[in-house]
Amino acid sequence: MSSLKFFVSAVVLLTCSHVFADTTQTDVVIVDRQSSIVKLFGAGVGNLDSYGTGVLISDKGHVATVWNHLVNTGFLTAVVADGRRFSVQVVGTSLEHDLAILKIDSEDDDVFSFVDIQAPGSVFPGQSVYAFSNVFHVATGNEPVSVVHGIVACESTLDAGLGRWQFPVKSPVYILDAITNNSGAAGGLLTSVNGEPLGLLGREIRHRGSNMWVNYAVPWKTLRPVVAAILAGERVAASKEPVKDSPPVSDRRLTSTFGITLMPEVLDNTPAYIDRVIPGSPAKASGFRRGDLVLMVNDAVIQSVESLQKELGGIRSGQRVTITVNREGSIVVLPIRVP
Amino acid sequence: MNFRVVRSLSIATVLLISSTGIGQEVVSVEQKQKSRIETIRRISPSVVCVMPPGGGGGGSGVLISADGYAISNYHVTSGSGNFMKCGLNDGRVYDAVIVGIDPTGDVALIKLLGREDFPFCTPGNSDLVKAGDEVLALGNPFLLASDFTPTVTYGIVSGVNRYQYPANSFLEYTDCIQIDASINPGNSGGPLFDINGRWIGINGRASFEKRGRINSGAAYAISVRQIQLFIDQLKSGRIVDHGRTDFTVTTSSDGLIEVQEVSQISDAWRRGLRPGDELISFGDRSLKSANDLKNILGIYPAGTRVPMTYRNREGVRKVYVRLSPLHGFEAAPPIPQEAEPKRPEDPDGQPNPEDPHAEEEAVVPPEYAHLFVEKKGFANFYYNQQMQDRILVPLQQMLSAGSTGGTSTWVLQLKHPVAKIETPGELLVGATAAGLLGDNWPISHQQIDKLDASNEPLEFWGLLTGTMQLHRLFLNDLSLFSSVHYHGTDTLQPSGETVRVIVIQDDARVVRWYFDDRSPLPIGVDTLIGVGNDESRLRFRDWDTSGEIPWPQEIGVVNSDTEEVTWLEVLNFELRKTARAAMSGAAGSEVKS
Repeated sequence: MSSLKFFVSAVVLLTCSHVFADTTQTDVVIVDRQSSIVKLFGAGVGNLDSYGTGVLISDKGHVATVWNHLVNTGFLTAVVADGRRFSVQVVGTSLEHDLAILKIDSEDDDVFSFVDIQAPGSVFPGQSVYAFSNVFHVATGNEPVSVVHGIVACESTLDAGLGRWQFPVKSPVYILDAITNNSGAAGGLLTSVNGEPLGLLGREIRHRGSNMWVNYAVPWKTLRPVVAAILAGERVAASKEPVKDSPPVSDRRLTSTFGITLMPEVLDNTPAYIDRVIPGSPAKASGFRRGDLVLMVNDAVIQSVESLQKELGGIRSGQRVTITVNREGSIVVLPIRVP
Repeated sequence: MNFRVVRSLSIATVLLISSTGIGQEVVSVEQKQKSRIETIRRISPSVVCVMPPGGGGGGSGVLISADGYAISNYHVTSGSGNFMKCGLNDGRVYDAVIVGIDPTGDVALIKLLGREDFPFCTPGNSDLVKAGDEVLALGNPFLLASDFTPTVTYGIVSGVNRYQYPANSFLEYTDCIQIDASINPGNSGGPLFDINGRWIGINGRASFEKRGRINSGAAYAISVRQIQLFIDQLKSGRIVDHGRTDFTVTTSSDGLIEVQEVSQISDAWRRGLRPGDELISFGDRSLKSANDLKNILGIYPAGTRVPMTYRNREGVRKVYVRLSPLHGFEAAPPIPQEAEPKRPEDPDGQPNPEDPHAEEEAVVPPEYAHLFVEKKGFANFYYNQQMQDRILVPLQQMLSAGSTGGTSTWVLQLKHPVAKIETPGELLVGATAAGLLGDNWPISHQQIDKLDASNEPLEFWGLLTGTMQLHRLFLNDLSLFSSVHYHGTDTLQPSGETVRVIVIQDDARVVRWYFDDRSPLPIGVDTLIGVGNDESRLRFRDWDTSGEIPWPQEIGVVNSDTEEVTWLEVLNFELRKTARAAMSGAAGSEVKS
C-alpha cells in the first residue's frame, strides 16, 4: 500500500521537475530538437502555402507530417537543419490520423538526427511545452526553425475543420495556448520543456463550436502505432487514397471547363457574381446568365467566390450538382454536370 | 513479496534524490516570479508611450539616457510630426522632438524635453540572445493604459539572426530577434528586455495574417546591437542611411558564398575581390548563407568601414571596405499605410472621444519651437548644428589666434621612415597645391584644380591631398566649402578609436575629419579624391600648439591595401609667406626632371 503511494508521488514529482527545467538545459534541448525538424517545400494551391514542417523520426530520413495539400501536390523538397536540401517521397498516409510519412531521398551513408517517437513523453494540462516549426517560412536554409512556448490547456477530442474538411482524429489531442495555428506550422513538433516528443502540430483549422482558430497537436502515443503500420508497409501511398482535401477550382478552370467567369476577387468574401458566361459552354447550356449571384451548390451555402471555388473543387468530374442563383431578386435552380 | 519491497525501496531512493532537487526548484520558481515582478517594476519607468500631438494613434518607445533621448520605430514617429507627446509611467505627459531617423532600419531617435533626470534603460548584449531565452515586451498595445503604465507581455525568443524582407516598403528588418511574446498595434517602438531587465531590442514588426493586425505568435525586434551602431549617427539629426556592398554573392551548390559581380569602382574591387572568389566573413562574422550577408550588412550605417575576409587562388585575405549609401533619402520617406500602427478607431479617423490621451494642443509647443530646424537630408538640423558647434567652435578659436597661418605656405621637414635615408624631405603645402621634395624621396606635386590620384607619392600615397585639405581647413573659413555637417561617431580604422566625424564637401571632394574628445584638433582626415580611387587617409598626432598655428609632430599615412600606418616625423614646421612662387617653381621643375 505504502509502496503504491510512493510510486504515485514519484510520478507526480518527476513530472513536476519537467516544468522547471533550468536554462542551460533549455538551450541544449532547443538546439537538439531544432536539428530534427525539416522545412518542407512543395506547391501552394490557391490560398494554401507552399511550405510546411516535418519531424524526422528515423536516422534513415523518415519524416512525419500532416497529410495536407503540400503532401498531395506530389513533389516535395525537405531542407534539413544543416541546410542540405533533398527531394522527398511519400511512404504512406493515414486519413484517420491526418498523417503522412515521408522518406528523404538520401544516400546510404546519410544519417539524420531524429526524434525517437517510440518513447513519447506524457503531459498534463498546465504543463509547459515548446512547439517547433517552419512557421511563416521565417527561417531559410540552415537557419534554425522557430520555437514558441505555451502550456497544454487540455487533452480533449476535437471537433474542428475548415470548410467541408473535417478533422478526422477521433481520439483526444493536446489543445495548446501557444499560437501554433499559423502558415507553415503544421507538421511541427510539440515537446515538453525537457525535449521529450509529445505530438505533431496540427493544421490551420477552426473549432466547429466557436469558429476560433484552434491550436492543437496530435499525440505521438496516438500516432506511434500508425507510423509503425505505415513503415511496415501496411498502408498504401497517398496517391491511391481518396483525396478529401481537394484544391479549389481555379478561375481559369472555371472559365475553361464550366464556361463561367466570376467577378474578380478583389476583397475577402467577394460575392460569387457571374461576370460572363462563355457561349457554347456547359454553363450556357444549363442556363446560367451574366449577373447571376450563386447562393448554393447542392445544399452548401456559398458566401463568396472563394467558397464557390472550394465547393466545386470537392465535387468529382461527371457528378451532377444543382446550383441555386439569385437572378434579379428571384431564386433560380440550375442543374449542371461537373465537366 | 521480497522482490516488491526491494523495488519500492529503489523507487524511494530515486524519490529522495529528486525531491531534494524539486524542493529547490519550487523555491526558485517563487524567487523567479518575485524577481520578475521586481524587474518589471525597475524597467517600467523607462518605457514611453509615443503619441502624435492631437492624439489618435501612437506607439511606444524607450528612454536610453537621463537627458531624454528615447528610441522608437520610424513608422511610429513618421506619422506624428516633428513634435510629439510622450507619456511615462509617472502618469505625466512630456513634449518630445524628433532628433534623427533611420527609415530603412525603422528606427527613430526622439528627445523628451523638460527634465535632465529621466529614468532610462540599461542595454544588454543582443549578440548573446538565444532561442528559448525568456523575454519581456513592454509598451502600450491598443493604447490601453490611461496612466501610461506599460503593458507587459512575456514570451521566449523563437529565433535570432532573422531576416525580414522590406514588405511593400523600404523598412527592412535584418539580424532581428523573433519572439513569441504578444505584440500588437501600439507595441511598435517599445522595448524588448531579457528576463533580467536588460534592453535587447525594439519591437517593431509581426507576422500578421488571417487573424488581422493582432498578435500571431511571431514578432520581430530590432537588435540593440544594430541600434547602438546607429545611435550616434541618429544623434546628428540626420536621415541615417544603411549601407550596400557594391558586390553580389550567391550560395553555391556546395554551400560556399560565392562572389557574383563586383563593381569596378568599388573599394572591394580595389582590394582585389573578383567574381568567383569565396566570401568567408563580413563584419568579423562568418557567413553560412547569402542571407547571412544581408543580415550582417543591415546592422551597419552607410559609410562604415567593415572588415571582410575572402579566399581566392592565392589564399585568404582580410580587407576593409567602406559601405556605399543604400537609399540616399533626402527627405523623410512616407510609410506605406499598412505599416502604420493604429488603434481600432473611428472609421473617419477622428481622435476617439473616449481616448484619455486625446488633447487639443498646439502641434509645436512655443517654448520648444527653436529645437527643430528643417533642412534637406536631415530629420532635424538643429541637433546637427549643436554638434558642429561643439566640435568646430573650439577648433576655430584655436585657429583664429594665428589667423595669418592658413594663408601662408607651410614647409614641413619630414624624417624618412627608412633609417638609412638621412636627408629630410620637404613637404610644401598650400591651399591649392602641395609638393614633396628631397634626395631619395618620391618627388611629387599635386594641384587642387588638377587633382590626380597618380600624382600622389607612391610610398606615402595620399600625403599631398590630405595635407592640402588640412591647410584648407586651417584657412578657418567654412564658407569656402559647399557643405559642412556633423556625421556622428565612427570607428576609425585601422586604430579602432571611436571618433566624431565632420564631413565637408569641398568642391568634388568628400572630406571626413576625425576628432576625439581630448583635443579640438583633428586626429585624422580621409579625402575621397574622386570616384574609383582610394581615399587619401592621414592621421595626426602630437600637435605642437606653441607656434603661430598648431601643427602635428607626426603624420601617419594609411595604406588601404595593408591597413598599415606609415608614421612620418615632422622635424620642423615653418610658415613661408612668400613661398607660393618658390614652391611652385621648385616643385614644378623637380617634377619635370
